[in-house]
Amino acid sequence: MNYGRELLKGNTDSLLLCLISREPTYGYKVVKELEKRSNGYFQFKEGTLYPALHRLERENLIEGRWEILPNGQQRRYYYITEKGQQVLAARLATWQDFSTAVKAVMQTETA
Amino acid sequence: MIDYASHYLNRFRASLKIDQTIKDGVADELHAHLEDKSRELEEAGLSREEAYKVAVQSLGSPELLAQQVYETHAQGSWKEAFFSALPHFLVALLFASYYWQKAAALAIVLVLTVGIAIYGWQRGKPIWLFPWLGYYLMPVVITGILLLNLPQGWGWIAALIYIPLALFVLIHIMRQTGKRDWLYASLMLAPMPVIFSWFLPLSTGHGLMTSDAWVTRLQTQAPWIVTSFVALAAATIAFIRLKPRKYKIMSLLIPPLVILFAVTWVSRGSINLWGWVILAFSLSAVAVPVWMQARAQS
Repeated sequence: MNYGRELLKGNTDSLLLCLISREPTYGYKVVKELEKRSNGYFQFKEGTLYPALHRLERENLIEGRWEILPNGQQRRYYYITEKGQQVLAARLATWQDFSTAVKAVMQTETA
Repeated sequence: MIDYASHYLNRFRASLKIDQTIKDGVADELHAHLEDKSRELEEAGLSREEAYKVAVQSLGSPELLAQQVYETHAQGSWKEAFFSALPHFLVALLFASYYWQKAAALAIVLVLTVGIAIYGWQRGKPIWLFPWLGYYLMPVVITGILLLNLPQGWGWIAALIYIPLALFVLIHIMRQTGKRDWLYASLMLAPMPVIFSWFLPLSTGHGLMTSDAWVTRLQTQAPWIVTSFVALAAATIAFIRLKPRKYKIMSLLIPPLVILFAVTWVSRGSINLWGWVILAFSLSAVAVPVWMQARAQS
């Protein structure tokens, strides 16, 4: 399996939590934001996003609420919960340690 | 809504066997997603039809998506798993402690079961409800069997009137449960093979219901009965915790087969024709909803 895809799969939850922590957002915007912020690096089947969002909601890391827009359209906005913020903080710390360690090893190899 | 989108959402809904409220919620989210995406594509210059076609393709296979959503929601928590298994553990405890002969203990368990089943039914049929519902139905089945004991042929007359009524209640609840998911109907009926296998005289030489001999037989077989209910509880926990449907189906089908093996072994091959009919009926009660599920998917 593609290494990049495996990395994305292992970090989808953290990426979603990170985006939702910045501002409450909805499914389609999450896809667009991921693509935009990663300069097109993160592209995946858009449908797979929803099982991931629902899994996070079941774990009480985010909370979905239906909101009606002025044009009458309904969207489900996701908000990060207190538990979600704690989990995200822990994952960011782990990621930074991991990233520093990987970089240190890789740089030695490529130097 | 353009045909592409409505066809996609219909396929998604048909493939997703889950609580209706959750199903509607996810379908509405996908609908909003398709609207957003197609609007953006239209603004980029695509025709309305092309925009919907591309939007639908970007979501991926509706069947695969339904499976992923199902696996997200189908796994109950450990708390739900243990609460689902609790009625089986309670019955096992009744037999392990020999309290099953005390009317007060039976009445407490019965009232508790009925109360919890009604509470769960009114609270939107949560995943833990179905095993409780199975025991809630047991008095209906047992009353029918007891009617056969009425004297001088009255039993058969009463049973002939009662059986259609009981079947009506049973089928109504099964259909209501099947609307959500046929596997829950199987989970609900899972105690039936255990109860019929151990509580009815299946072997040659036993009458239909001779109270003293029946009590003695149940006492002798109590360890097997306890083991069967504990096995059922374990299978229920596995059913609630497992995500893929095929594993859930396996968890439902294995205990009745194990129990069938145990009953045959304990009776040392002396099961009579009546016994085989009862066993076949009770096993089919668990297998039929699974078969209905397979038929609905094909």
